[in-house]
Amino acid sequence: MRPITLTRREILENCVALGSLAVVASSPARAMLAAFQDHETQHKRPTPPNEIGPFYKKRAPDAAMLRAPNDPGMPLVVSGQIFSTRAEALTNATLEVWQTDHLGHYDLDGYRYRASLKPDQSGGYKFESVMPGHYPDRVCQHIHYLVTAPGYKPLITQLYFATDPVFEGDPDRNFSRDPLIHSRELVRPVMLTGDPKTIQAAVRFELVLELM
Amino acid sequence: MRTSSKLLHIAVVLAAVPALLAQDLHLIKTLTVPPEAAVRSVAITQKGDFVAAGCQDGQIRLWAFPSGELRQSFTLQDQKISGVWFSPDGTLLAVGGNRGTVRIWTVSSGKVKAELKAGADVKALAFSPDRTLVAVAPAEIPAQLWDLDIGRITADLTPKFAGSSDVAFSPDGQWLASADEDTVIRLYDGHTGAPRATTQDILLESFAIAFSADSKSLYAGGADQTISVIDAASGKISRTFPKQQFVVGGMEISRDGKSLAGAYFDANGFSNPAPVLLWDTASGSIRKTIQQSGFRPIGGGFLPDGRLLLASTAEGKLQIWQVR
Repeated sequence: MRPITLTRREILENCVALGSLAVVASSPARAMLAAFQDHETQHKRPTPPNEIGPFYKKRAPDAAMLRAPNDPGMPLVVSGQIFSTRAEALTNATLEVWQTDHLGHYDLDGYRYRASLKPDQSGGYKFESVMPGHYPDRVCQHIHYLVTAPGYKPLITQLYFATDPVFEGDPDRNFSRDPLIHSRELVRPVMLTGDPKTIQAAVRFELVLELM
Repeated sequence: MRTSSKLLHIAVVLAAVPALLAQDLHLIKTLTVPPEAAVRSVAITQKGDFVAAGCQDGQIRLWAFPSGELRQSFTLQDQKISGVWFSPDGTLLAVGGNRGTVRIWTVSSGKVKAELKAGADVKALAFSPDRTLVAVAPAEIPAQLWDLDIGRITADLTPKFAGSSDVAFSPDGQWLASADEDTVIRLYDGHTGAPRATTQDILLESFAIAFSADSKSLYAGGADQTISVIDAASGKISRTFPKQQFVVGGMEISRDGKSLAGAYFDANGFSNPAPVLLWDTASGSIRKTIQQSGFRPIGGGFLPDGRLLLASTAEGKLQIWQVR
């Protein structure tokens, strides 16, 4: 039997119809619903965590440009916003990112492809790098994230790319080919931008932290 | 020597590679397991009288050593086995599972002494010298100090974020240390778990820690490719051994404190060749390099007479080697 699934709106409408939601006489049911849903959209689900991996390095430099001028590999821009689950921009967060170079090597001696970032006034962040290679002992290309903000649980996660050859063009179906990817949500679409001679990849990755 | 389970889940890919006899390695025992059992973790008692293996078929096998007589087979019911650890006196065997169960058996009777729920895949574990306390490091959450007599957590060992890679008690029981994923080494009172000191100046994660024989120093090795010697009372790094091209994945100290065996990994591929180095702790110099194509220890330890044993696996067997 096909399971009956109701949308949130349907459930709310049913509740109103059945009188299980108190509707103030002067407030039409539809307006009440709209207010409910406005409230609902202001709540964001926390970003799924993903393990920290073995090569986090503290005291990374404050830098938004991770690649050097002649670095090989496909240029990559990653941007996004940092929110609380109440959809407040977390302007006082600190974001640390680390990844391999285009060949899949981590820099353990220095801080290549490692950075610490502060978001702007809207909680936005952006950094420029190269598409990471495949680390020999992992399945998928990835960028590590550590996001901290006073009063919030530290978020440790990883960003994956929908274009990763491992997914064979179908991340919905194939994301779990990397046993460490527990959430499809962490596999982000990749947009190619720039003129054909200087194509670069662009990815957006929103980060949502939970209160401590 | 417990090779860091964080690295081990990758290193076990090597289990199928046959071990080649190195000049410095003498095969002293081959313990057989069913081909599908594949040994994933090993512990040897400090006395060298028992060997325990956590196997892929869900069995924990316990052999008398060096006779090789199989004494017991245990299971953790429906959990995969993440690691096996003996108490320092060899009377207790702890087994950690991938869903957080820790079961502790009395070796002589084969009876369960305690069962703990650590909450997540067990990455590391250490017994206090008097066997009354157990420090457990579950994956990605703070390590815990358990009192075995009351069966409860008496302290959480809390990093700024994530969890711990390794935990260790000092031989005199005074100190407990954790190597945390936030790269900090934390030192605690070995009886109460109260924080005592931290080492902040190691910038990358340490995967292995071990106390000196006199309990005054802690050795820490990891992704920074060095071994740092830390003063337990202050947490200050007093010296570091020369940096290698490899990551330290496991460590063991001889009973007299004069030797340190370190198992190394290549950060650019954990299946690449990497050595076991035998260090002279006083001078910080390498006494011996043990590296042989295809040989990858997954555990080991020093015997009371100073001999170093290393364990490696191949299909259907667990091999115990003595380092000459």
